[in-house]
Amino acid sequence: MNMHIYAFGSICRGEIDLGSDVDLLACVDGPAEQIDHEKYSVYRYERIQALWKEGNPFAWHLHLESKLLFSPDGTDFLSDLGKPARYIADVGDCTKFQKLFDRSYQELRQSSNSATFHLSCMFLAIRNFATCHSLSLGHPIFSRKSPLLVQPSLDIDPQAFSILTRARLLSTRGFGENITYEEIATATEAVAIVPRWMKALRSQHSP
Amino acid sequence: MIEFNNRIDAQRVILKLVNRGFLKEELYGLSSGAIDRWIRVNGIDPADDLPRAVCESANKLFFLANKSQEQVTEEYRLLSEEVLELAQRIAKMI
Repeated sequence: MNMHIYAFGSICRGEIDLGSDVDLLACVDGPAEQIDHEKYSVYRYERIQALWKEGNPFAWHLHLESKLLFSPDGTDFLSDLGKPARYIADVGDCTKFQKLFDRSYQELRQSSNSATFHLSCMFLAIRNFATCHSLSLGHPIFSRKSPLLVQPSLDIDPQAFSILTRARLLSTRGFGENITYEEIATATEAVAIVPRWMKALRSQHSP
Repeated sequence: MIEFNNRIDAQRVILKLVNRGFLKEELYGLSSGAIDRWIRVNGIDPADDLPRAVCESANKLFFLANKSQEQVTEEYRLLSEEVLELAQRIAKMI
């Protein structure tokens, strides 16, 4: 089986903390049953090529923030693909993440059941919204802190943002300290500004 | 686009059902790390019906996530139905 392996994401940005994971990509040309799908994002070569052609954010992420770890023959598959197509799905993608935020916020206000999961989804929505928006402007920011790095940035209390980040790590990795009821209340109050921020961010976008 | 939010909705349904039961710590997600933590912290027997159904749901949703960028197929539709059936099974266990 032909295979290229890459590291991508936070490790390639040098964005390392206790909750950091190492994101690994395996590009393969057939069934990859010997690869642990929990540890690797496994994609067929054709699928990666299709993502490149559609200008998918993941293609841009790999193009800008990946490092080759293994090649069977000295080739660099991703590098040889060149630059991905222009990203044009920002309206649909931002709408998708706005809906995720709205739904999660609604759930969080209704009940404390699964609050950490709702906060985690809100983090995902806010972060991906900012990343997709920045990519649509041609200055992509893939950092976990993308909401704080776009203009206008999300004007949120750092402690509240850290609670959202912790919720994401608890949900996706089972890592970290539990979120207390007080912290849930703090975060719930702080994210009330998010819908306005999302609107302000998109209003500067000229299609 | 719809599939992405549908998968999160399915995950939310399962978590809300599981977290209805009174345990020391909630299930925070359907990642293997979150499930392992839930089992460990709450002293749950991994062989019990509930953790097995949770793991089965996670595997199916993980499969759907990996298929999310592919064409919608009959296989995808059947798996989505299976996840809903699993949610019904979990609801009866709580």
